[in-house]
Amino acid sequence: MKRFLPLIPLSKLVRSPEWAKASIIALGVFSTMYAINALFFEVNPGKGWGLTYGWVAAVLMFGAGLYAARRRMFHRDLGRSKVWVQFHLYGGTLGAVLVLFHTGFSLPNGVFNWLLWGLAVWITLSGFLGLALQRWIPRLLTSGLSVEAVYERIPELVQQLRERAEKLVASCAAPIKDFYRSHVAAALVAPQPRLIYYLDVTGGIQSRVRQFDFLRRVLPTEEKSKLDEIQLIFRTKLELDAHYSLQRALRWWLYTHVPLSFVLLLMILLHIWAVWYY
Amino acid sequence: MTLGQTQLKRLEQYKDRWTSYGANMGILELSEKPTPQVLKQFEIFKDYDEKFLEKISPDISLALWRSGTVLFEEGSYIDLAFFIVSGTVEVYLQKQQVAAPIFARGRTQVFSGREEASSGTPARGEGTMYRPIEPKRGGKEITFLASMDFDLPTGTTLRLSAGDILGEIGALNGWPQSATAKTTSTCQLVQIRTAALRLMRKRSAGLKARLDKLYKERTLISQLRATPFFRGINDSFIQALAQKVELVSCEPGEVITTEGAPADAVYLVRSGFIKLSQRLAEGNIVVSYLPKGSLFGEAEVLLDGNAAWLFTASSQEYSELVKLAREDFRSVLAEQPDVEALLWEAVAARIKEAGYSKRNISQSEFIARALDNGLVEGNSILVIDLDVCTRCDDCVRGCADTHGGIPRFVREGNKIGNFLVARACYHCEDPVCLIGCPTGAIRRTDVGDVVAISDPLCIGCGSCANNCPYDAIIMHETGELWPPDMIPEGLRGKEKVLASKCDLCYTDPAGPACVRSCPHGCAMRIGDVQEFKSLLWKEAG
Repeated sequence: MKRFLPLIPLSKLVRSPEWAKASIIALGVFSTMYAINALFFEVNPGKGWGLTYGWVAAVLMFGAGLYAARRRMFHRDLGRSKVWVQFHLYGGTLGAVLVLFHTGFSLPNGVFNWLLWGLAVWITLSGFLGLALQRWIPRLLTSGLSVEAVYERIPELVQQLRERAEKLVASCAAPIKDFYRSHVAAALVAPQPRLIYYLDVTGGIQSRVRQFDFLRRVLPTEEKSKLDEIQLIFRTKLELDAHYSLQRALRWWLYTHVPLSFVLLLMILLHIWAVWYY
Repeated sequence: MTLGQTQLKRLEQYKDRWTSYGANMGILELSEKPTPQVLKQFEIFKDYDEKFLEKISPDISLALWRSGTVLFEEGSYIDLAFFIVSGTVEVYLQKQQVAAPIFARGRTQVFSGREEASSGTPARGEGTMYRPIEPKRGGKEITFLASMDFDLPTGTTLRLSAGDILGEIGALNGWPQSATAKTTSTCQLVQIRTAALRLMRKRSAGLKARLDKLYKERTLISQLRATPFFRGINDSFIQALAQKVELVSCEPGEVITTEGAPADAVYLVRSGFIKLSQRLAEGNIVVSYLPKGSLFGEAEVLLDGNAAWLFTASSQEYSELVKLAREDFRSVLAEQPDVEALLWEAVAARIKEAGYSKRNISQSEFIARALDNGLVEGNSILVIDLDVCTRCDDCVRGCADTHGGIPRFVREGNKIGNFLVARACYHCEDPVCLIGCPTGAIRRTDVGDVVAISDPLCIGCGSCANNCPYDAIIMHETGELWPPDMIPEGLRGKEKVLASKCDLCYTDPAGPACVRSCPHGCAMRIGDVQEFKSLLWKEAG
């Protein structure tokens, strides 16, 4: 179980308790206000408190979106990235809740409003998906893998491993050469992302490495050490595959969140303009 | 003719470029790899046979230096000693310098203000991700050696002539030169690199005695005077003691004491690291380590009825020690009864640590890895908590953005526990990268222990990158060519390559960009091994 879902301590799950507390307080205040409003009046998105919730939500969402700009200005002293990320998380979430208050928990009408609402939901959900991946995958990687690799360099590292293995195999006896050709060579061609690593970061590796055991029994001592080295290369490659698979999720997830966030911000601007104009 | 801005800038650079050792501007003639027959003409080589001289000759050169040339400057690191064949060299202090303890607090402070140092492990999320560099040893350390290699009062000049040696103490110990040396006439010098000097000293008892004598005369007395352990002792006693001590030089891995063997002395570590290990079951485990300025053997002297070494001590790298006979140490204690209480504290701490290491094998493993990976040298080690790191590379991007597009570190390195020790400069206590830089481009800045490279002075020779044992210096292509007026001439028109390394963003009050840019707070700067250890232990629960 630990390999699949390593236990995450609360301190690593909630990294900034101050931000969490402040957000809960803000949410509490807005929720109370909304409850009072909803009890006595019908919340109208275009007027009074309903409009106010909409404005605050828009400000929070634009604020959250500024994190993308901050990532392109590391050279400027704009405070620590960690603070920006916390605002992105908590501010963005609060913004999403305020959208619900803004609409009075009713479904939108009209294509544009449906799109706007749908995008806001999508961005929020994909954000939570990203957050879950960011909390889960790093811990999964450290829980069962001994190597660490930079994602972009993995293809190059695999190539280096292959070259090393082939050089070594050239000096080996026939049984190792045959074994290498039939069981190892294909795995060393390129990084091979596999879904199994999401389920068990180490299980697949252990069983595949076990293939070497039978051959080792029949080899003379000097060949055994060469086989051990090939096994180590093979194991390292499989661990790199695990990194490749899991780190890929950490990168690809961004495509579900970032581009559409810009679309959402543009649509919010359009929405504000339309409301103001009409 | 009016000079353009660029030319003025280059002239300014040239003015500074060759003031450190390695400048060929002051050398009139240079002959490398002299034959054994040539070397035999000089008194310093007379004890050696031709085969040995042939072996060390690649590390020796003969140079004729112009009068008035600076051989080395105060604070510079050189990897050679000079033997004067003819001419005179004057040695003097440019700055006010006293025999200060090596670990003086003032030398290691950096980035005061925004985030003050806090004690213990930095807690993430509490504004303590980056801590100012702290002195590595606590205030209760009682043994300090000063890094003086000439005991010169400020304002005075020492004149050296034919037959004298200079620069050898800094070179052998990896210390910065504490004085400036300048030729006062045309000088013929034999330049001996550290590797050859070590071999020569090992091979010849005569040379060892001579170097030891020089060390005792030029340095040891002032070092002992500045050492708290000896502070209350009168001068005549110190002088007598300095004559009695033995100077011991150790090679990497050399065993100094063996657990259980009769203990006959106390050692002061003047450079390098000493590994202490103890027997456990069928093998030995590392229980502690001692940096320069430490004392060991005091436990064996203080514990009544114990005459055997409690630890096996071995040298982790080239180390230099001062050996004090048991009886002499006792006589010092008799003169200074107050010191004994402090020594007992140190002994108790070491025995406690050893016991803990034996019970917790992971602590021993950590110490061994810290020694092997050079973490013990570090003043600011970049570690990344891999349990939290999403591998977004913002730390690298932040570094690159701050340094003109070229990152100063690689997010790769050794993994210890769940932490990655990134391949970034450790800003070592003894920065070997500084040794042999021909232009003085790489230097310790005036801000704490920060080691930085000045781009306008770097000629891309790669000496620092080759010297760095931790691959923390990157040689990068700039995409430009060296200008046609470049010095050295050999570089003109060739591709411009520069060395780059982490400078801790020391000019930026906001602190290192890598730490600032990390969105998850998992990139941290660790001031020393103890801090790293507490971080690991905290993680392990």
